[in-house]
Amino acid sequence: MIELTNLTKTYPGKTAVQSLNLTIPDGKIFGFLGPNGAGKSTTIKMMTGILPMDGGSIQLNGKDISKESIAAKKSIGYVPDRSDIFLRLKGIEYLNFIADVYDVPKEVRETKIPELTKQFGIYDALDDHIQTYSHGMKQKIVVSGVLLHDPDIWILDEPLTGLDPKSSYTLKEMMREHAEKGKIVFFSTHVLEVVEQLCDEVAIINQGKIQFQGNMKEMKQQFKEDDNLERLFLELTQNG
Amino acid sequence: MAKTWILIKTMLKMQFSTAGKSDMEKVSFGCLFIMVIPFGFFILTMLNSLIGSLYASLSPTENENVILGLLFVSVTIIYIFVTLSTVLSSFYFAEDVESFISLPFQPYQIVMGKAAVPFLSLYGINTILLLPSLLFYGIHSQSTIVYYAFALILWALTPVIPFALTAILVIFIMRFANISKNKDRTKMFMGMLGFLFIIGINIFIRLDSNQNGTGMEEIITEQNGLLDLVTKFFPTAYFSSISLTSPSSLTGVMYLLLVIALTVGGIILFMTVGQQWYFKGVLGLSGGKRSTFKDNQLSKRTRKQPVLKSLFLKEMRTILRTPTFFTQILVQSLFFPVFLVVILLLESSGSLSSLAAGIEGWSAHTTLIVLIAFTILGLGVNPAASSSISRDGKTWFNHLYLPIAARDVINSKLLISFFLNLLSITVISVVILFVLQVSILVWAIWLLASLAISWITSMIGLILDLEQPKLNWTDEREVFKGRMIGLFALAIEALVFAAMLLLLWLVPVFQNLVFSSLFMAFYLGLTLSIGQWYLNKKVKEKYTTLQA
Repeated sequence: MIELTNLTKTYPGKTAVQSLNLTIPDGKIFGFLGPNGAGKSTTIKMMTGILPMDGGSIQLNGKDISKESIAAKKSIGYVPDRSDIFLRLKGIEYLNFIADVYDVPKEVRETKIPELTKQFGIYDALDDHIQTYSHGMKQKIVVSGVLLHDPDIWILDEPLTGLDPKSSYTLKEMMREHAEKGKIVFFSTHVLEVVEQLCDEVAIINQGKIQFQGNMKEMKQQFKEDDNLERLFLELTQNG
Repeated sequence: MAKTWILIKTMLKMQFSTAGKSDMEKVSFGCLFIMVIPFGFFILTMLNSLIGSLYASLSPTENENVILGLLFVSVTIIYIFVTLSTVLSSFYFAEDVESFISLPFQPYQIVMGKAAVPFLSLYGINTILLLPSLLFYGIHSQSTIVYYAFALILWALTPVIPFALTAILVIFIMRFANISKNKDRTKMFMGMLGFLFIIGINIFIRLDSNQNGTGMEEIITEQNGLLDLVTKFFPTAYFSSISLTSPSSLTGVMYLLLVIALTVGGIILFMTVGQQWYFKGVLGLSGGKRSTFKDNQLSKRTRKQPVLKSLFLKEMRTILRTPTFFTQILVQSLFFPVFLVVILLLESSGSLSSLAAGIEGWSAHTTLIVLIAFTILGLGVNPAASSSISRDGKTWFNHLYLPIAARDVINSKLLISFFLNLLSITVISVVILFVLQVSILVWAIWLLASLAISWITSMIGLILDLEQPKLNWTDEREVFKGRMIGLFALAIEALVFAAMLLLLWLVPVFQNLVFSSLFMAFYLGLTLSIGQWYLNKKVKEKYTTLQA
């Protein structure tokens, strides 16, 4: 379970996230929506321990990210929006590094690395430096790294950007499978169709505040039944 | 031509703009500039007296134009060498190459634009080297105003031909060498070439001056044939010298015109070659090679290892595979001791034995202090520690979301610089044991002290980098360029260790090796503990707040 309580982050002259409360139960695909600069990435960065928070708390599977950071981080797998990972490593070295960090047993590495990378079509490139990968390939190696340790909570920041249709489909399938195993998939996106297709629950954030949280059905009910998601999104984020 | 001019102006602005530079950096540059003045004055005085004495000994035989020949030949060699690396990095390896290719420019226009920065830098060197030399020669030869006018023109023209010809050579090689597959390797090679060049020059000078104490002047007169041969390889150097020797004569004017014509020809040739071949060499640079992962490697490549080892290997691979890190850190950490070995080994047998004899004459106590002082300097200049955090750049944040303890990340970085220092310590060890033939006991004490010093210098560099890391770089060179951190580290190390060395030197009881060893163990142990405590404190404060 993910629990964000009164989460706050301020930058000089600007409140990026204001008293944000969210509870996400296991087994859900949770879509985090919002316009540019709404506070999505800031929230995700605080959830993953990249950014220190100014107020509130974050519990990941019952572990507080600021008090038991290593234990909390062990339960998450994070796919950042930028693919600035360790570029000078080769694909296989990166995956083995991740496996070392998350204590993945050798047998699991030997079966899962070929399985995942073949699914994404990057198996042959494992011996190349990540620097030579395209944006999509970098994204795929990071996703492979995350799934290698099968985290309870999978956090993805704009995961579908730069992926080709086939890989995009594969990733969506993987997200679904992950949630079906009773785990959480938390992702941010701009692509509304993906939200419609995938999400069990949605939160819309604007100017650092949650504007709406609920499942797709509730969201549509709350607003006009016949409205499409795009108009709904615009309406919600219009005035902040 | 208007477009070429716009391109040149843009490139210069991008390189020399002070925008985005912090006040701290500006002040540091200012201080550095002021510090350079006395040094520059010293060099100029040396140059003046060298030219003066050469002139005095060569003019009776009317051989004084040899000075000019030598001058033009040596600056030409220097310009060729400098141009080789600056052109290669500006034309082919700079990050912005591709963004210019997509713009509607002719290849020659891009080449001219890309040449602007390296060419102007060459003029900087030209102003420091050639201008004062020509001026001093003029003063010593009591030349007329015509000489100075000619000298000024030749000063302005001299860099053009070496620059144009070297650039043409580079464009030619890059056209045919399949460099896109070996971009990194080429960068490393160029980086190492710089160090080899310095060591090579040193060997050359030492071998040369070892010929039974022959004076500089004698070598030149004796080797007049060689000088002719050398100027034959650099005809413009020959023409320039002749022109300056008799500026008022027809010959002088003709040779000057010849140099001007050759210079113009060089520029035209450079533009033509650029137009023809530049794109052919530069296109496809961003492509990388693709290999195929072999199934049978899987088991070997997925071995389980402790996180600390995994982090250490990641750091080491990054240093070895990033050309800038490789040359700035690995090559440089070995450069100092290797340079020392070269100097010691190439000393004539007489002076080497006298050095060894000199050390034999010293007490074990003195030898130890000198060796330790030298080691502190040698390890202190290694930038591995002071670039520990900055090296990660924008990838730093990856350490934050991964479940790795800050302690492990920091320790892996300390271990890296400790390990690289170990390479220097090994080289110095060989020198101490086999060249200087210091006793095993002194060597053993020195070794233990050096290991502690290595850990302490690594901590100092790391703490400084942790305090103000440069994470927002786009080119690895920015990690080292224009940062005063190396100097700060050296200054702190000087303060920390000076007290120990002074006490060892001055307190009579430390003449005894047992007492001095005990004192060092205490002092270094204490410094190490304080350093470790301070580092832990800084890590707690800064680790999670660092953002690119």
